Amino acid sequence: MSDQIRHLSDELARDPSSLVFLQLGETLRTSGQLDVALRVSLRGLERHAYSAEAHDLLARICADRGELQRALDEWDMVLRLDPGHYGARKGMGFVLYKQGRFSESEQYLREAAASGEGDASISHALASVERMLRPEVQQPQPESAAPSRNDARRLFADILADGDQTALLIDSSGLVLAGAYISAEGHEVAEEIGAALSGVREEAERAMRHLPLGAWTSISFEAEAATVAMAPVANGALVMVAADPAMPQGFVRRVLESCAARSRSWLTGAA
Amino acid sequence: MTVTVAEAWVEEPLRRFVDDARVVFALLVHPSGQVMGQHGFTRAVDVMSACALAAAINASAGALGRELEARPFQELYHAGLERQVFLAEAVTVRGACVLITAFGRETSLGLVRLYFQEFRQALAAAAPQAEKAGPVLAADFERELDRSMAVLFGRARPRDLTPV
Amino acid sequence: MVGCVVADAHDGIVVEAVVRQGVNSNTVAALAASLYGGAVQSARAAGMGEVGFLRLEAERGHVFAIGWGDLVLVVIADVSVNVGQLRVDMLKSRESLA
Repeated sequence: MSDQIRHLSDELARDPSSLVFLQLGETLRTSGQLDVALRVSLRGLERHAYSAEAHDLLARICADRGELQRALDEWDMVLRLDPGHYGARKGMGFVLYKQGRFSESEQYLREAAASGEGDASISHALASVERMLRPEVQQPQPESAAPSRNDARRLFADILADGDQTALLIDSSGLVLAGAYISAEGHEVAEEIGAALSGVREEAERAMRHLPLGAWTSISFEAEAATVAMAPVANGALVMVAADPAMPQGFVRRVLESCAARSRSWLTGAA
Repeated sequence: MTVTVAEAWVEEPLRRFVDDARVVFALLVHPSGQVMGQHGFTRAVDVMSACALAAAINASAGALGRELEARPFQELYHAGLERQVFLAEAVTVRGACVLITAFGRETSLGLVRLYFQEFRQALAAAAPQAEKAGPVLAADFERELDRSMAVLFGRARPRDLTPV
Repeated sequence: MVGCVVADAHDGIVVEAVVRQGVNSNTVAALAASLYGGAVQSARAAGMGEVGFLRLEAERGHVFAIGWGDLVLVVIADVSVNVGQLRVDMLKSRESLA
């Protein structure tokens, strides 16, 4: 237990009716102790049922626990109690995006942005929603704007909306040519991921030799931690996109197509 | 991968089978026990034992199949803890031959069976016309067996049986 | 739909099959189980956990697969198939068979 958590717990024990549970719950949430954070938050709400901040805390904990509908309900309560609450609008926008309700998500995100408290994550999220709602407005990158070999790690950076997606370009022997893959612990694991996933290509090619379906154009599979999609590009290379499992399948496919087009252009330029 | 053959015409089909099916061992044997080609063995004595066993299994399974179903079993399969064994007969104009193969978790019975079908067709297509069969004497058989072993382990060249 | 096969996920052997004439269910079972197994192994090696629905898109059709326990349900479909509907149906089938 960290000193801060111990200190806040002691303070709450001395005065159970104080609002210090908000700080304690948030500290527990950010340190990943979600079950304890949930208990603290629920106990606080028993005494402060009309506190917008208490409901906001519970909503954030629920979102972290993957209980998106419950988070949505809590933020809805926050907005009833405090219609101008920035965190609730941002949270609602986030959850609705995850649920594929892009128009509603955009509305909340725009309201959050208009409140003047907007941070970089809001503009990032808005850009993602825009891409879903109005894909035709996206301008293709001019050839000259394609990154050079030196920018290989950032080849797909402008295509990928946020931390929920990542992309790699893998050569025919399973080595990473471009892109990056950062693990949840913050480590670069592109080589390991690239090598592990390129084995699927061999299976696909083998299957296509025997089934009368022509050449394969893409493979996608839904794993617990990610939705993975891959497509052949050129010279035996493969582009792979991994996205949050909550991301809509159609959107992942669209991102894959964009990354494949970028890869082809880059490989042609790099040849 | 190393495929060695006693008869040149079996090399390409056997190499293809081993490559596609990703098996660990493969042995192509005449029903008499004479080796025609192999992959995965490093010692002649192991090949000789495997050939004798494969021929015996094929003969006894054939007899059992005829007893039970009025025809020989087409395939035999045995699942071990780590390795699995598949045995089946392929017929060519030069007569029947038996493929016995062992494989691990890199592949599956389904894939081995799939590629065995292709192997059987490729072997039939590659087989040269049969030579006029002579009497199989014990002395000939032993001489042939010795020669096959010498070829498989690099002490002689494979027989190139182009049609006459 | 061109064919639907339930295969043993490890052996790639047909458990049940309904396929259009001319489609070899043994071939479909062996190859699709191997493809699905490859995805499962790759996802595990990459720390992504277990694999659910898999889709391979090709020039003239699709291969879909979904596993449960030791079995894998495989569907071969032509290009005009409603992918979203088929995905939902396969997920439901898995639930009812599990």
